[in-house]
Amino acid sequence: MSGRPSSYTPLDEIYKIHERTRQAYRSGRAKSIAFRKQQIAQVGYIIKDNEDRFIEASKRDLGRPPQDTIFFDFAGTYIDIKLMYDNVEKWTKPRRAGCNLNFAPMGPRVKAEPKGTLLIIPPFNVPVFMLMGPLVGAIAGGNAVVLKPSEKCPACAELITELVPKYLDRDMFQMVNGGVAETTRLLELQWDHILFIGSTRVGRIVAEAAAKHLTPVTLELGGKNPVVIDPRSDVHLAAKRTFWGRVVNTGQVCLCPEYVLVPKDFQDTFVEAVKEIHNFFFPEGPKRSSSYGRIVSEAQVLRIKRLVDGTRGTIVFGGDVDVSERYVAPTLVKDVGLDDVLMSEEIFGPVLPLVPVQDVEEAIEIIRSRERPLAIYVFSQDKVFLNQVFENTESGAAIANETVISAGVPGLPMGGIGPSGYGYTTGKEMFDQFTHIRVSLNNPSWVDKIGFGFRYPPYKKENEKFLRALSPALPPRPTEKTSATGNS
Amino acid sequence: MTTLTYTSIEDIEKFHETARRAFDSGKTQSIEFRKDQIAQIGWLLRDNEDRWREALRADLGRHPQENDLLEFVSIYTEVNMAYKEIEKWTKAHSIGFSVNWFPMHPKYKAEPKGVALIIAPFNFPLFLLLGPLTSAIAAGNAAVLKPSEQTPATSQLLAELLPKYLDNELYHVVNGGVPETTKVLELKWDHSMYTGNGRVGRIVAAAAAKHLTPLTLELGGKNPAVVDPKVDVKMAARRLLWGRFSNAGQICLCPEYVLVPAEFQDTLVEAFTEAYQRFYPEGPEKSDSFSRIVTTAHAARIKRMLDGTKGKIVLGGQADVDNRYVAPTVVRDVPVDDVLMGEEIFGPVLPIVPVKDVDEAIAVIRAKDHPLAVYVFSTDKKFQDKVFKSTKSGAAVANETVISAGVPGLPVGGVGPSGYGYYSGKQCFEQFSHYRVSLDNPGWVDTVAFGFRFPPYKPDYKKHIGSLTGALPPRPGQKSAMKVVKRWGLWVVFALVGASSALLMKSGRFAQLKAPAQA
Repeated sequence: MSGRPSSYTPLDEIYKIHERTRQAYRSGRAKSIAFRKQQIAQVGYIIKDNEDRFIEASKRDLGRPPQDTIFFDFAGTYIDIKLMYDNVEKWTKPRRAGCNLNFAPMGPRVKAEPKGTLLIIPPFNVPVFMLMGPLVGAIAGGNAVVLKPSEKCPACAELITELVPKYLDRDMFQMVNGGVAETTRLLELQWDHILFIGSTRVGRIVAEAAAKHLTPVTLELGGKNPVVIDPRSDVHLAAKRTFWGRVVNTGQVCLCPEYVLVPKDFQDTFVEAVKEIHNFFFPEGPKRSSSYGRIVSEAQVLRIKRLVDGTRGTIVFGGDVDVSERYVAPTLVKDVGLDDVLMSEEIFGPVLPLVPVQDVEEAIEIIRSRERPLAIYVFSQDKVFLNQVFENTESGAAIANETVISAGVPGLPMGGIGPSGYGYTTGKEMFDQFTHIRVSLNNPSWVDKIGFGFRYPPYKKENEKFLRALSPALPPRPTEKTSATGNS
Repeated sequence: MTTLTYTSIEDIEKFHETARRAFDSGKTQSIEFRKDQIAQIGWLLRDNEDRWREALRADLGRHPQENDLLEFVSIYTEVNMAYKEIEKWTKAHSIGFSVNWFPMHPKYKAEPKGVALIIAPFNFPLFLLLGPLTSAIAAGNAAVLKPSEQTPATSQLLAELLPKYLDNELYHVVNGGVPETTKVLELKWDHSMYTGNGRVGRIVAAAAAKHLTPLTLELGGKNPAVVDPKVDVKMAARRLLWGRFSNAGQICLCPEYVLVPAEFQDTLVEAFTEAYQRFYPEGPEKSDSFSRIVTTAHAARIKRMLDGTKGKIVLGGQADVDNRYVAPTVVRDVPVDDVLMGEEIFGPVLPIVPVKDVDEAIAVIRAKDHPLAVYVFSTDKKFQDKVFKSTKSGAAVANETVISAGVPGLPVGGVGPSGYGYYSGKQCFEQFSHYRVSLDNPGWVDTVAFGFRFPPYKPDYKKHIGSLTGALPPRPGQKSAMKVVKRWGLWVVFALVGASSALLMKSGRFAQLKAPAQA
């Protein structure tokens, strides 16, 4: 595509938008909780009043069936809106802090205050939820926000850009559109917090830019999320929920299962179950199904095709693509080795590799040898099996007998660890990131007369008793503990 | 002066490797183990109080009382709090009851990040190292500690004593200067915490960005104090001077300048003079209650600032750089663009900036970077609120200075250039952990409720979503005009319809989902 799209924000405008947003924040209008609740509610109506237009835009950008848009974008956002709207008063109230007799007369308190002006950069794959969700968290925190939707979903970006100023405060919440140049310009400016959802590579660039301004950052990055199958588990359930997790949104969800660690002797059984599910999901074949979506761009299709073509595993079904339609067939590959190209990067497409393993110990070994993912999925009805996997691995989410949907549970904070990111993009924990705790106290004068007078110079030896009184007793020494309990 | 033994580059890498392996071994999973280590931090201090006091006197010229009050008490408090609260902090939390999700038992639990790096500054070499270490251990991490080379006696003692009390594989002390710190920053950590100045903070943040390492930064601030003429001026004077002169002004929370109405400046100076004389009856240089500056370089820096001021020195002003002595000093009539109002003084010099009124005071504060604390001396709540609500800072403290850091339950943290994250209490524990979420979705849930999500999608899909998400809040402007359509959760709807089948599922016979059966 030659030349800058007209929808892109001119580079010199970006600085002005940043300034305007900051001024709006400094006006103090977001201090009012009523204002915040009003804006949060309005985000809901941006979507509710325009559901059909969003469905249409998602179809153009992602080839998505309406249900995927409804499930991931609408439901997720409505759930977050309710959570923030219902809790903003509670979360922003000043609270007494600690219960300590020495300091009680000073009335120590904590209160969540806004950080200021935030930058939110959502990804292309769930373009509404991953923008509106963090937006309502930021609003609940009393912040002003600049939003930079992904240029990879232009129809959705355009729709959001049109609607946001119609529903929300025009100066507090502003849109910037563009690609690399525009994002680079945004990252040169000073923000009070940046939330970025996307690839690890760009995550690094965001963190480096933020470092220059000492800006705190939240990163939601990728991960190669494994599935572990207990051969004793309900294979039909495992197949159904795993395959669903891989093909929904055409495999383009950061929480999608990326590969399955299946016991060698069980692989064929599992394969049969998945084939059955495939036929159940797409009775007329996936290409003709109105329940199956497309890939975001031709470039991505080609990338996924390269991975599938390069595999040394055996393709059980699928494997075909249609670049002009941005179609990649739901694909199952068995007997995939650890060094296979399908295991080398996040597929982010509807291709499910099966990696046969000896036993659960080997599965755990493999997971531990790789970078920590956003989620680990285990299918088993045996608590001991589940605990064995979860307790010996690390991930943002540890999910049993399910895939993907943890992000939709209100109150469950979604976040990564290690290369899958840090910070949270849902829940109260997200709100906490967008605020800072301001502590306060008010020390009456008389406190010096009866308690803290000793702190002033000249220091006297007899002050030691006051100091002792301030220190709590220490916990027992470990050796004392063991001898006390009689275990040596 | 103690010679500090620097850690070799090979050893730095070895410690990092050892800590990683020790963490991976799962040793820290046991809460009992963590509690033992936390207790040991307390005993590391208590058993050796005299040696610590000696080291701190050598490094900072500190009187034992300042050690006790400002460092030891704070560490004991952290140790005690972590020891008592760790079970609560580390247990799995259920989310609030949600009718749609409860069969999946959604939970979240704090898990360790892995291997933490803690870089401490010179001014509170023990508290700003052992305090965060307590939180890091409570969260289940391994840790490498890098105390400041500007406090050689204390850092040397740490390297000697820490291994005697804490697990030798999980926790290490690295000592050194710029090359050693640079090496440390090249390595990959799972969380880094740096307390110090903004310049180095940027370097730490850039290094962390390469590894996508999450970060806590506790940086400086030029903390203002606003004085209301109606206040008890004697109280204000002594608490301001105490805050500025403790630790010879080397506390990130020290008041850095005082904003006072011009016509009240004389009264305030008089009160300062009186308090000053009571603090140091024989003069500060002879007083054993006044500390020293950490290095001659810093003493020279502060002296240069004093020499360049356009204000008038009314108390103190002397310096003996070779002995790292800068007198506790008060300067009046300091203009807003004075050298004393530029960078953080971080020394025992208190500039008084006369202003017209509280509005001008607020304007001065707002024109500068967000500080760690804003102090207001006034008994008038409206006056206090006006200043606090128009400014932003980590702490908003009335009629006091500095002490907020010592209050158990009050997290210490900055905002903007004063930093981000927290270095005490539960909030510090949370930074050293990540919340791992979990749920376990029984098979029958699809039969009764979530089956609609599977292809082929049916036209009634939207209805199911509606039950899942509930009603939107009322549109602004329409009070509760929206008839609250009671959206019962999926469970109630399906429970009424499929109660008997649900019971069958629950009894343990997982549904064999045969195409195309749906609820």
